[in-house]
Amino acid sequence: MKIVVAVKQVAALDDDFEIRADGLDVDEDFLMYDLNEWDDYSLEEAMKIKEAAAEGAVEVIAVSVGPERVDESLRKCLAKGADRAIRVWDDAMEGLDAVTIGRILAGVVKKEAPAMVFAGVQSSDQANAATGMAIAASLDWPHAAVVAELDYQPGAATARIKRELEGGMLQAVEIDCPAVLTLQLGINKPRYASLRGIKQAAAKPIEHWSLGDLGMDATQVGATAALSRVRRMEIPVKGRAQMIEGTIAEQAAKLIEIIKEYKGEAA
Amino acid sequence: MNDTTLVTRILFQDFSSWSITLFYLLGYTAIGIFAHGVYTQVRKYRRGRPLDIGAWRQRAVNMVQDMLTHRTLVRRDRKAGRAHALIFFGFALLFIGTATITLEYDILQPLFGWRFWHGEFYLWFSLVLDLAGAGLIAGVLYMMYRRQWLRLPKLDYARPDRSPEDPDYDRRDYRREDWAFLWALILIGITGFVLEATRLVWLSGQPTVWDLRFWSPVGAVMAHAMQSVGLSPEGAGLVRSGLWWFHGLLALTFIALIPYSKIKHIVTAPTSLMLRDPLAGRRLPKVPEEQASAGYQYITDFKWKELLHLDACTKCGRCHEACPANAVGAPLSPRDVILSLREFANHSLNAATLPEKAELDVHGKAPGQVFMETLWSCRTCLACVEICPVAVEHVPIIVQMRRKLVEDGNMEPLLEKTLQTIHKTGNSFGESKRKRAAWTKELPFTIKDARKEAVDMLWFVGDYASFDPRNQKVTRAFARLMQQAGVDFGLLFEGEMNAGNDVRRVGEEGLYEYLATANITSIRDCEFKSVVTTDPHSYNTIRNEYPDFGGEFEIQHYTTVVRELLLQGRLRLRKPLGYRVTFHDPCHLGRYNKGFDAPRDILQMLGCELVEMDRNRDNSFCCGAGGGRIWIPDAPGTEKPSQNRMHEAGRIEGLQVFVVSCPKDLTMFEDALKTSGYEGKFVVRELIELIEECVEYDESPALSVEV
Repeated sequence: MKIVVAVKQVAALDDDFEIRADGLDVDEDFLMYDLNEWDDYSLEEAMKIKEAAAEGAVEVIAVSVGPERVDESLRKCLAKGADRAIRVWDDAMEGLDAVTIGRILAGVVKKEAPAMVFAGVQSSDQANAATGMAIAASLDWPHAAVVAELDYQPGAATARIKRELEGGMLQAVEIDCPAVLTLQLGINKPRYASLRGIKQAAAKPIEHWSLGDLGMDATQVGATAALSRVRRMEIPVKGRAQMIEGTIAEQAAKLIEIIKEYKGEAA
Repeated sequence: MNDTTLVTRILFQDFSSWSITLFYLLGYTAIGIFAHGVYTQVRKYRRGRPLDIGAWRQRAVNMVQDMLTHRTLVRRDRKAGRAHALIFFGFALLFIGTATITLEYDILQPLFGWRFWHGEFYLWFSLVLDLAGAGLIAGVLYMMYRRQWLRLPKLDYARPDRSPEDPDYDRRDYRREDWAFLWALILIGITGFVLEATRLVWLSGQPTVWDLRFWSPVGAVMAHAMQSVGLSPEGAGLVRSGLWWFHGLLALTFIALIPYSKIKHIVTAPTSLMLRDPLAGRRLPKVPEEQASAGYQYITDFKWKELLHLDACTKCGRCHEACPANAVGAPLSPRDVILSLREFANHSLNAATLPEKAELDVHGKAPGQVFMETLWSCRTCLACVEICPVAVEHVPIIVQMRRKLVEDGNMEPLLEKTLQTIHKTGNSFGESKRKRAAWTKELPFTIKDARKEAVDMLWFVGDYASFDPRNQKVTRAFARLMQQAGVDFGLLFEGEMNAGNDVRRVGEEGLYEYLATANITSIRDCEFKSVVTTDPHSYNTIRNEYPDFGGEFEIQHYTTVVRELLLQGRLRLRKPLGYRVTFHDPCHLGRYNKGFDAPRDILQMLGCELVEMDRNRDNSFCCGAGGGRIWIPDAPGTEKPSQNRMHEAGRIEGLQVFVVSCPKDLTMFEDALKTSGYEGKFVVRELIELIEECVEYDESPALSVEV
């Protein structure tokens, strides 16, 4: 039995960063990459199921779509105990969005035929919260988003889950398997991947799949297939916050002055 | 008197042959029990991991020096050390004496007919042994007094990591054993003298005995006393024969029990001293590439040398007393870690066959196992290793056990986050790499990029000095000093990463290897004569640990560099500062690397009046930041080591400046100054700031220290 965990390598911004010359993204020099925080939790959930089952009964496969640098994040998944790691990339995929990524990942799921697909609720950089649901849509599988608790026995026909709603509410759901779940932070305590573990995982192979391996072509996944595209990226103008200093009386006087200024009254 | 062979001591006189046979039988039984014990102990050690020791000759010489001078025992407890010396030398001489008799009576005489134990040799022999016996008894009496009446906290075996309901909370059995040991020693000594006295009374008619009685002065005085209360020679002979057996059996029991009891330390302590690693804790062991798991999980993961160290501990409590974690009530006493592991090893490794793997796991909550919170309480300040009189190396063991905890993710979430941050950004502040040298922007001059041009001195700045805003001021001050002195220096800029000292002491060996190799590569690509740093942590790992990864660099802490610049007159001083100061030795500069003098010399040159705290130099009290503890919050409501230290400084009358020479110390103590209520009474300053205040600049940028 297999569990596919869709993971993403996310970017974090430096304090001072610059937008790329073409204005479509941040200059890669100013990005620091790491595994998406949500994916630590979804991988951990898969590992817990694997470790509770008999040895070798559950195979955990980490899958990601992206260029070569993504291998580093997949290696972290291997270090944490994933059995296999697959990276899908093809230059024709440049310009993809959450929907096309979902389509690609669905292609992997079709080939692997897992009993469960996990993804994080969202990625910390783009925050579309769409990829997991896009996989389910492509597969036409049952799905549940923002899962905060999961009760699932490997091979079972259904899983009992609790979804997080607004206002601290939980919704208990029974879902038919195989299903696609997006898991919320806090569902478990992710394990630490020691550097030694990551180094040792370097010996484990990462499978590199291309479009051909999925039986897809550029028209399905390329920029033209994407439902959204970036037109421009810019740094918003900073607000006019200012710190008022001085004694309480001075601060109050300054505040009155500012309010009057806004109301258009003369100081 | 002409026949000197008559001047000797009777052995087995008037004994029937069966009682001599019985005595020998008992003797061989005792030796047999002893030998079996030695065998099981050696088997236990051999169940540890192999280790190549090497340099046995030098090790033996050092050990003999340690033993003869008792230098490790008199430290910080002179009286106990001297009492031990009396017992040690007394016991050793008595043992040699008894062995001499055996040599003649059981070996040389029966085999070759050689005799030497008579005449003048015998007389000197009996004088020396009498004095030895008196010394032994005096030493043991002091130890008894010390245990019973001094009530030293360090001899209280109650454990900070267990609660009173736990079965191994106060280790009462140890106390019984201590007393049994002392009583056995003193009884053997006293009965020995009584035997001697009764023999003299018994044989008072023989001039070869009686006329020479004062060669055994203690026995002679006692003999006179016995006579004065009316003991007849016959009566003395009767008392003697009974007492002889008691003394003999006690001595034989003592010998038989050596491998099974505290007495063991007469063998394990010298061996442990011989196995001492002079760099213990300063240079932590590498994890062999082929080793699957990083740290120690099972007792069989320990090296044989470490298993032997465990057996050398005599519970003297010096480490317990020196430990900063223990001082503030954290659940750690280095003594208890060692004793726990020893009990664990004795429980699981003494049997003929090894138990199941699961029963060898040293981590957990059962008796003998070591708690996770105990291991995480350690600040790797090395106070325990440094003071241990028998060379037990606590810190490397604690770090090895932490490596296992780290591998399993059993650590504070904040620490885990910090390790991930360091991996991602190369620094513990989570700042971008390119901001590492941002502190230089406010300087009126530019600092050379050592990656691009050759420099004399490569300055390894370190995380705290680079990113912490308070420390950046000090870092800039040091740059100005170097500039003023005309030192040709440069930085690695983004090429520098966290040096890894504390990461390694946390137990994240993989991350350490990553940081160390990256830094070594960066440093190696530069052209320079020597490295300088203001950070004692970076200093330690670059000096002691980078060589294991191929990075052999000459490195100095700034205190020695500045002292040299002052002595050479390359930095001129304006006027004596005249402050009343105290100096806190940073663990990694002082205890780790013996850099005690340079900062004190500088303070003297600056014209400061240095008043030492009670705990100074090698007994300096850790600020609490070491071993990664700076990334682990202290439990709320408990005293921090830094606050404990502030109170110590606060007792110095008229103190103006609490001087430190370590970025982490500055952070810890400026915080503790406020939280322990000394703000406004004195200030915490980095030594660099005092130097800056005193040095004459061509262009004056000096900030005044507000006292």
